Amino acid sequence: MGRNANGGAVQSMPDLPELNPVVHGRLRLALLSLLSAVEEAEFTWLRAKTEATDGNLGAQLLKLEEAGYVAVEKKFVLRKPQTLYRVTETGRQALTEYVQALKQLLGPAIDA
Amino acid sequence: MQHHTTEQELKDRLSLIESMIAEGRRNVESWGWTFVLWGVVYYLAIAWSAWNHSVWAWPVTILVAVIVTVVVASSKGGNHPGTTLGRAIGSIWIAAGTSMFLLFLALGLSGRLTDQHLFVAVMSAILGLANGASALILRWKVQFACAVVWWVAAVITCFDTDAQSKIVFLIAIFFCQIVFGVYGAIGDGQERKRRRGPIHA
Repeated sequence: MGRNANGGAVQSMPDLPELNPVVHGRLRLALLSLLSAVEEAEFTWLRAKTEATDGNLGAQLLKLEEAGYVAVEKKFVLRKPQTLYRVTETGRQALTEYVQALKQLLGPAIDA
Repeated sequence: MQHHTTEQELKDRLSLIESMIAEGRRNVESWGWTFVLWGVVYYLAIAWSAWNHSVWAWPVTILVAVIVTVVVASSKGGNHPGTTLGRAIGSIWIAAGTSMFLLFLALGLSGRLTDQHLFVAVMSAILGLANGASALILRWKVQFACAVVWWVAAVITCFDTDAQSKIVFLIAIFFCQIVFGVYGAIGDGQERKRRRGPIHA
């Protein structure tokens, strides 16, 4: 217990975890969660599940890719371009740590 | 960051993770139609074999149904991603279907498929196995009930008359293929309607 500027007692706070800002974005979190449940997914499937616009979805996926959380593979199937995304081990770990941090932050409020 | 984030937002994030993981794991493809298709196929094969006792009734009908299933599934499959769960369940049905096809084709061609009771019992047992395994993986009580119906049919047919065996088989097909297939298709349709709004960044 310490004292604040007004001389009042201040409760010592337990160390609270920081939330990973890359994972914390709502759409990025949705994408990472979706990808963690499947082996790989097409851009169009992710768009259908999140109902996000192409531009927004592409931008958020790029951020996840730059962070090393998702891997992208572009190929042609029957002459049609196909973009496949899969979560990397780093991305899976980041999501796990994010969930643990969330649970720690919420504490007893998690069941409320 | 947490200083600027309310408790409600944190709960919202947790619920988003849960719902998205569930969405990804959910059987993205409706398979209700396959149960209905195969129920109709069984009825057609039974009618054909009862009409002229052809040994080709079952193999030909089954082969046509396999082709229809593969073509329709490929066209409907589209961009759906694969999941370990989906592959596990698919494997059970492919293995069960292949076993039945090879076994009954060989028995039919060798002229040893003379006991209708044995045919119904083995087919019902294999369908019970596939339904039961799928139900246990998916924790789906309705499908497990179908497995029980098939197992009961397999046991009953060993003791009843020819006519009773046919009736038991027809009833099991009706409930476990047609009714269950329609139920599955309706359930999937309702799931699709229950959609959230778009997720923003």
